[in-house]
Amino acid sequence: MATPAGALQRTASPLPAFATWRALTILVTATAVLGPLSLILYQSLLTAPFFDASKQLGFGAYDFIFRDPDFWKALRNSFLISTGMTIIAVPLGGLLAFVMERTDLPGKRWFEPFILVPSFVSPMVLSFGFVVAAGPVGFYTVWFQELFGVEQAPWGLYSITAMAVIAGLTHVPNVYVYATAALKNLGSDVEEAARVAGASPLRVALEVSLPLIMPSMLFSAVLVFFLGIELFGLPLVLGDPEGILVMATYLYKLTNKLGVPSYHLMAAVAVCIVAITFPLVLLQRRLLQGARKYATIKGKAGRMKELPLGKWAWPAAALLGLFVFVTVIVPISGIALRAFVTNWGFGVNLSEALTLESFRFVWHEPTHVRAIVNTVLIGVVGGALTVACYTAIGFANHRRNDGWTRFLDYLVLVPRAVPGLLAGLAFLWVFLFFPPLTPLRTTIFSVWLAYSVVWLAYGMRLISSSLMQVSPELEEAGRSVGATRGTISRQITLPLIRPGLLASWLLVFMIFEREYSTAVYLLAPGTEVIGAQLVSLWQGGAIDIVAALSLINIVLVGIGLGIALRFGVKLRD
Amino acid sequence: MRNWLKCAAGALALAPLVVVAQVPAGYPADYAKTVEAAKKEGKVVVYSALDTKAAQPLIKDFSALYPDVKVEYNDMNSTEMYNRYIAEAASGQGSADIMWSSAMDLQVKLVDEGKALAYKSPEQAKLPAWAHYKDQAYGTTFEPTVFIYNKRLVTGDDIPHDHAGFAKIINSKPDKFKGKVTSFDIEKSGVGFMMVVQDTKYFPGLKDLEKGFGATSYKVYSSTGNMLEKVSSGEHIIGYNILGSYALVRAKKDPNLGVSMPKDYALVLSRVMFIGKQAKNPNAAKLFLDYILSQRGQKLIGGEVELFALRDDVDAEYTAGKLKKEMGDKLKPIPIGSEITAYLDKDKRLQFINDWKAGVASGAK
Repeated sequence: MATPAGALQRTASPLPAFATWRALTILVTATAVLGPLSLILYQSLLTAPFFDASKQLGFGAYDFIFRDPDFWKALRNSFLISTGMTIIAVPLGGLLAFVMERTDLPGKRWFEPFILVPSFVSPMVLSFGFVVAAGPVGFYTVWFQELFGVEQAPWGLYSITAMAVIAGLTHVPNVYVYATAALKNLGSDVEEAARVAGASPLRVALEVSLPLIMPSMLFSAVLVFFLGIELFGLPLVLGDPEGILVMATYLYKLTNKLGVPSYHLMAAVAVCIVAITFPLVLLQRRLLQGARKYATIKGKAGRMKELPLGKWAWPAAALLGLFVFVTVIVPISGIALRAFVTNWGFGVNLSEALTLESFRFVWHEPTHVRAIVNTVLIGVVGGALTVACYTAIGFANHRRNDGWTRFLDYLVLVPRAVPGLLAGLAFLWVFLFFPPLTPLRTTIFSVWLAYSVVWLAYGMRLISSSLMQVSPELEEAGRSVGATRGTISRQITLPLIRPGLLASWLLVFMIFEREYSTAVYLLAPGTEVIGAQLVSLWQGGAIDIVAALSLINIVLVGIGLGIALRFGVKLRD
Repeated sequence: MRNWLKCAAGALALAPLVVVAQVPAGYPADYAKTVEAAKKEGKVVVYSALDTKAAQPLIKDFSALYPDVKVEYNDMNSTEMYNRYIAEAASGQGSADIMWSSAMDLQVKLVDEGKALAYKSPEQAKLPAWAHYKDQAYGTTFEPTVFIYNKRLVTGDDIPHDHAGFAKIINSKPDKFKGKVTSFDIEKSGVGFMMVVQDTKYFPGLKDLEKGFGATSYKVYSSTGNMLEKVSSGEHIIGYNILGSYALVRAKKDPNLGVSMPKDYALVLSRVMFIGKQAKNPNAAKLFLDYILSQRGQKLIGGEVELFALRDDVDAEYTAGKLKKEMGDKLKPIPIGSEITAYLDKDKRLQFINDWKAGVASGAK
């Protein structure tokens, strides 16, 4: 029963419009997420491709994989690597964010782009970089051996431990971006209080600042774990020679194991992966029940002040420097060097092997040029569109606590749990067999849609983290002067989360630049993107071109990142 | 003189005679109709496992020959190609006009399933009997499998010259070769699988090789490019069942890489081409297929493309003819026919893989 006041407000406001708009947003999101997913589920219950006339319903696919010892090995390895990388990435990402965002470390601004580098370079390329730089005969390995006169370098790349460490390090930016976005909105009064009471900067970080941004940290931990289960490029390059399988590479192996592609087996594995991630989602939701008490943008927000590090500046700088050297400089310099030489390894005089041939070839090959243009487009324009869509979904959920909110919360987490390779395949099916979309299959739109859905969870978390930090009292203030829901969203909430949205755009730009597996099956003339092109070239073994294209990718993104950072700095002033 | 020719050509272009002039020598007269129809279609869509870089000379030359037919060339790996083709065919949206792949078994399977267009190429008589199938699928190259080694790290007696020798070398020095031997992952690479199945026909000592692989914990990859890179860099030093076409090209400019042609026998792989049943540009596809099989196309394949020309009557740097002079009947082409699809049967394939793994495991200590 509406109160008279409520009735008055309702007649004066476009509230029903908001409800319609919300319903539409939910419907579109649900279709985009559940359509391809249900196709995968259906496929896993068949004995042949779903479009094949000879298909039959049955559990044969599950029977096969559960009897396959490789499946269990892959499952175990996935859990080991995911756990390891989460343990490494979350604390390190949080600490780096604290150092960068809250302290007075001199020259730290220069480091920021480098910290973000691993998140916009395709993991496949980074792994390749590690092989070239620090593998058994890598540039750095050989230099190390010559410098210290040892036979063997004290590190190895092809083990589960090494994979967990490398995956952990390369996923630090995922945590970092979430943590900084949250720290940015944190008043510095509590930190100052702790400092005055005699706590060291490390203690401030671990016991005050990071616990205050727990929602972001938890989200990023769960996401890193997700990403760990889904790891593909890294174990493909580093695990394959030793036969170390993880879930995604096991799935990939099924493409060929039976001679013809076994979609039903691949789909069954994908369903198993989704089944693993769901309990995690439930756990995460429980942990976040009390998220409201973390609201830190208040009507009476204090001034932001940087924490003086004092003698702690050196350890902080050392941590930052070591991270950047190992995670960024080593693999990227490996790639860069590889792009300019014809051959490498033991006893090769690099100065004799120098060449520009690879770049010349890329420049004269229309497919590669198109891939470069498309990659820029999908990152900049596509990224902005994607953030707009995510924001719409965010608002559909904001300050609501009904069943639909819970539904959307689960929904957005689902696609990320599906391995990109198979999500891409499912989207190819959709674009092939769903008539309204078929004309768009060979346009970059198909790749954009697939990317946006696959990375939904990732982007949504950033947006809802920002939204969650806006204390309800500000919106209630608007409401008390008679603003409608739409007006509040547009004029109060949206401006407040603008830094968060810009950060999201930057983040989405970066992940779109580096995404590779999702686009593999959508690759066609017109839809080339560098990531998928790299996988294809890697398969063919054109490794010099892979190195050259990767370097071009890194440079392009570097330029984009530079511009974005400048923009970001201005906004902060 | 040249002007006069231009005028004549201009005049001819207006006359129907020029159509006849475009029909290659020895082709049936009604081929002109195919050419005309192809011009109207205006393009040919090619799916190929040969990367664009390598295929560029062929595309250029074909465009010079038929300027009105544009080549839309898509390179992808052979499994992806098969996946895409069956999905697109099932959706009824039309797919590739030309399928060109090194996964010979998958290509033959598609033909057997009626997904290829029947077309008897006028060039068919010039091909060896094993290289065409049901007037639908055609072999286009003659690529031997070879051994590779790192020239700086493998010398003298350690360079393998035949299959038994390869097995003996790695079995006798397991310490030197520990972790340094590489070959195809037969679970991931259809081509790699097909080759070891063929090995069972010609190499009685295959079990010893499997043992050697186990004893040295050999490293497996799904693409030739990776193996070449790793052997060149010295991470691995010796490789088995490598596609000779790629290896020889790289060895030419890479001083680290050595290639050894097996003296006892060498398997020969031929990229299989057919026209799609639902091809939207069937006439343009016919021109493309005939061009690839023609002397002109084959000469480029054996030359700039740096694969091996299949036809005996072609003179180029890499040709079947030259190989045959050197190796005679030691060359064992993998036949294009139902023999090679036998192992696409799930149970048979898994059995083979398990036997292979057991053989490898028996050598590991």
